[in-house]
Amino acid sequence: MLLYLTRRIASSLFALLVISVIVFLLSHLSGSPVDALLPDDATQEQVDSFIREWGLDKPLWQQYLTFLGNALQGDFGTSLKWPGEDAMGFVLDRMPATLKLGGLAILISVVIALPLGIAAAVYKGSPIDSLAQVFALLGQSMPNFWLGIILIWVFSVWLGWLPTSGTGTFAHSILPAIAIAWFQVSALARLTRSSMLEVLDAEYIKLARVKGVSETQVIWKHALRNAAVVPLTYFGILAASILTGSVVIETVFSWPGMGWVAIEAIRGRDFPVVQAVIIAYAVIYMLSNLVVDLLYVVVDPRIRHG
Amino acid sequence: MAETSPNAPIAPTFWSKASDLPLIPIGLLLIVFIIPAFFAQWIAPHDPYVPNLGARLQPPVFFGGTWEYALGTDRLGRDILSRILHGAWYVLAVSMIGIAVGVVVGTTLGLVAGYARGWFDGLVMRLVDISLALPAMLLALALAAAIGASFLSVVVVVGFALWAYFARQVRAEVLLLRNSDFVARSQVAGASHVRILFRHILPNVTNTVVVLATLQVGIAIMLDASLSFLGIGIPRPTPTWGLLVSDGRDFIATDWWISFFPGLAILLTVMSANMLGDWLRERLDPRQRQI
Amino acid sequence: MTLSHDMNDRGIAMHNRISNIRHAPKRLLATALLAGTILAAGGLGNAAIAQEKVVIAVSPLGADSNLYWTTTGAFIFPSMQTLVGNDPETGGYDNSQLAESWEHSDGFKTWTFKLHPNATFNGDWGPVTSADVVHSFNLHIGEDAKLSGISRFREMTITAVDDHTVRFDLPSPDPDFLFSHAGRGSLVIYSKAQFDAEGLEGYETAPAGSGPFQYEGREVGQSLTFSTIADHWSGVTAEFDQIEFRWVSEPSTRFAMLSAGEAHAVTLPRDLSDDAMEAGQTVLSSTAGAMQSTMLFTGQFMNPEAEENRDARTYAWADVRVREAVNRALDRDAILEVLYGEGVQALPVYTMDPRFPGYSEEIATGFDDAFGYDPERAMELLADAGYPDAFDNAAIPLVVTSLAGNPEFAQMAELVQAYLDVVGIETEMREQDWATGNTAIRGFTADFVTPMRNAPVRPSALGVQIFFTKHASPHLDVGDPELNELGAMLIDETDPATRDQLLQDMFTRIFETYAHIPMASVPASVAVNSELVEGWTFPGSTSSGLSHYHLIDLK
Repeated sequence: MLLYLTRRIASSLFALLVISVIVFLLSHLSGSPVDALLPDDATQEQVDSFIREWGLDKPLWQQYLTFLGNALQGDFGTSLKWPGEDAMGFVLDRMPATLKLGGLAILISVVIALPLGIAAAVYKGSPIDSLAQVFALLGQSMPNFWLGIILIWVFSVWLGWLPTSGTGTFAHSILPAIAIAWFQVSALARLTRSSMLEVLDAEYIKLARVKGVSETQVIWKHALRNAAVVPLTYFGILAASILTGSVVIETVFSWPGMGWVAIEAIRGRDFPVVQAVIIAYAVIYMLSNLVVDLLYVVVDPRIRHG
Repeated sequence: MAETSPNAPIAPTFWSKASDLPLIPIGLLLIVFIIPAFFAQWIAPHDPYVPNLGARLQPPVFFGGTWEYALGTDRLGRDILSRILHGAWYVLAVSMIGIAVGVVVGTTLGLVAGYARGWFDGLVMRLVDISLALPAMLLALALAAAIGASFLSVVVVVGFALWAYFARQVRAEVLLLRNSDFVARSQVAGASHVRILFRHILPNVTNTVVVLATLQVGIAIMLDASLSFLGIGIPRPTPTWGLLVSDGRDFIATDWWISFFPGLAILLTVMSANMLGDWLRERLDPRQRQI
Repeated sequence: MTLSHDMNDRGIAMHNRISNIRHAPKRLLATALLAGTILAAGGLGNAAIAQEKVVIAVSPLGADSNLYWTTTGAFIFPSMQTLVGNDPETGGYDNSQLAESWEHSDGFKTWTFKLHPNATFNGDWGPVTSADVVHSFNLHIGEDAKLSGISRFREMTITAVDDHTVRFDLPSPDPDFLFSHAGRGSLVIYSKAQFDAEGLEGYETAPAGSGPFQYEGREVGQSLTFSTIADHWSGVTAEFDQIEFRWVSEPSTRFAMLSAGEAHAVTLPRDLSDDAMEAGQTVLSSTAGAMQSTMLFTGQFMNPEAEENRDARTYAWADVRVREAVNRALDRDAILEVLYGEGVQALPVYTMDPRFPGYSEEIATGFDDAFGYDPERAMELLADAGYPDAFDNAAIPLVVTSLAGNPEFAQMAELVQAYLDVVGIETEMREQDWATGNTAIRGFTADFVTPMRNAPVRPSALGVQIFFTKHASPHLDVGDPELNELGAMLIDETDPATRDQLLQDMFTRIFETYAHIPMASVPASVAVNSELVEGWTFPGSTSSGLSHYHLIDLK
């Protein structure tokens, strides 16, 4: 178990290293921050002093090594776009907002997808099955920014139930969470449905039926407990996809999370923050995968060494 | 559910079930997506590119508009219907080429990794991790800023976003297959690794790949739309659906038709593709659970 | 929203996820009910905005800092003041900010400002004196300054003559010096007393200013809040208690905020403004033109000799006939109506403005003749030039970009392309963000036609040098020897009449050589919620176009 954990962490660290190189290269290929941060009529003198100040005149590999050395100490430099802010600190400050939104999105998708999947499985082939699948598919078939804007107009402007954007109360997080979650519902419901079908077909369930256990009890007590483990395997992809979704949705809803920071920083060529935010995304993703793997081992010891 | 052994013949299973083809999704795909993609220039009533400033913001027919512009016009007076029809080709091209890139890269790496195991397997799985851990959107932003947004950059991003799913899935299948009897028998009989991989294993993962590819059509189209939203999609004036929805998004509450109909086209296409994918999966690959 | 609260919510979400797996059904139902309850409660708790707080939603700033000089000067806090004010009705210079009066030497090389004797900083930071001006000046010319136009300040010296008098000594004449001190905001006055007591950290936490509002706080990247000062030294007082600026990047989200009554005023793209009006909201325009827009040919295409760094003479637009054809191919009336709505005037020459010297009636009246829509003439010119066969680079790359505050730039490129297509000019769309285009221009590798804006409208002597000659921004030089020569003369000339003539000559030269594609002179506009806001007079004299927040008149 310990060995397994060590190997997992080592390989994650390796992946992070590669990601840091990719991120570093891409962000430097993508143009100079000079042009995003200085006014249109900046003089050569202004440009030169800016370049010196940020070490942009050194060779690329040297810039990378400096970056890596500092990054290992948690120092990603200071933000260019938000002067005076520590890049990683700035990202970490926004992380709770994204995790909160992501957590709520996962909660919503699970709360909607599980019943849908179960209903579809229990009533396989009936109109309920089809309806459940169509509803689930809807979320995956709309561009999420479009869905987000429609939600704003319907629930905030016309119905006046929820605030349009920004942050502050729990109510602010509902619309963006739905806009992110719906996309996941389809996959999760489908997964639940198929694993549920499989369990319902299994020998011990058949045995239970033969024994005279009522169908409701079969479904609730036996089938679900086993079927519910399956979505867990999907959690890694779910996390990745929800993080990706947050990039666009946070912009639509002006939600001050990491996705919003990522877009603003890339647009502003704020290298330190771009690097910090992508690394932070990668770390969240890897951690959630690690947790899933561990949970998995706990739930089902047979796959410990898979 | 039908039991299929790994090397069971494919064709009979497929065709014996063909009688219950999902006609609605296939029909929708043809009408909304495939036919426009290939025949737009003959069926579109107007030029999709030339602004007609005299006919700006015409509402759709039945909403105060006329049959002349059945789905209304945009801010520059271009016919929405014609733009959707012409856009289909680009949507088709992006999703097909992007998926093809993902399939080729992902399947090859997955095949070899699962078969060879060892360090190569480790490397591929790390690459999969890396690719999944880098949000495609962020990569796209950086890429677009670096090399400029173009048809190519969008295809690359779509391929990048998808390959890991294929690699992971195929590898998992291969892991199961390589321990099966028929592979062992071929090895004993002295078949080369290449021959085993491509003659024996590849045909058996084809179903998985086909199903996965169908289900990824939606992801590819969504990604294209998100890229347009971020201003790094296929450059104007190419009317990809993503751009149409993205351009019209400001006017959802007022001139709703500008983004509604392209959005509807996306919705119908992605839903149909997904339903078709589901149907294919049930027919081809009942064991498969992963997305 | 505190951190612990955040953690709490996340804890709940996490807990639910795990419990779902173990004992799904009942917990699931309970969770759903719980979520529903919280949702309902949250919705009720967050009713309409408080009456006394004015909310303004605008697109996010390029740089977001309390240290003004580290930004590009796109937004001057309402708590801060410059030396010179702008009249809300005319945009002309007035003494509504810190300077009570000013004078200049005959040669425009020495400018002296007298401060209002009763001006004080908010909080308890004392009166505004010349020491504060000198202190702020030194901060503004520091290494970390990114302000537009600050390089000129580095060349001048500042002297505190007495407690309320400061003198600027300039190396070269500058008749337009007041412009830098007004809405352009090259110098914003911070409190030296606060700096001495708290250092830069004090500014970062809460910069003291002398304006009619006091800095309250910020949510980084989200919002900035200011409170109204009840007895301001200048006598102006806003009729509301607080003003909050929110940075919201999606125009449709801003529109939704306006419609839902969450914001009093929002900036919107022009065509969305039309929709806002149809929806019953009010769109207010600045009293004076706030911005000029154009499309610029890049490269030193008029340079008769090849440049070391690149040879722009191979670009199609190096041929004056092609440039004229491009201009003739455009139906400006139609284009401008789409981009900016009705009533927006075509601009004869970018950087020329009736408010500033050098304005030529002759050019303005001759504009239709020389630049009017005439596709046939365009095609003749092209045929005459042998287009496209005689050109190595026949296709003209058009930059599709959007810039905060100028979302219409993308449509501008699309429309121009459509019109050029009609007369047979080949184009190629370059979709790129603003920074990428700037990189190319600064690196002298630009080979495209790009939209450009002049906001706030600079004094023409400043603008024309920046956008057309080598004297202020060499990377925007069109390479014309005659223009550069006129520009060099302008720098040293102090006689107003001669300056006016020089400028007119420059504009004429630009006009006659079709050196650019002028578009429009546009007022700044803001959409206000018609149930909350009665009116608001602002001159459009700042970079963002907005100012004079104390004049927001609530219902």
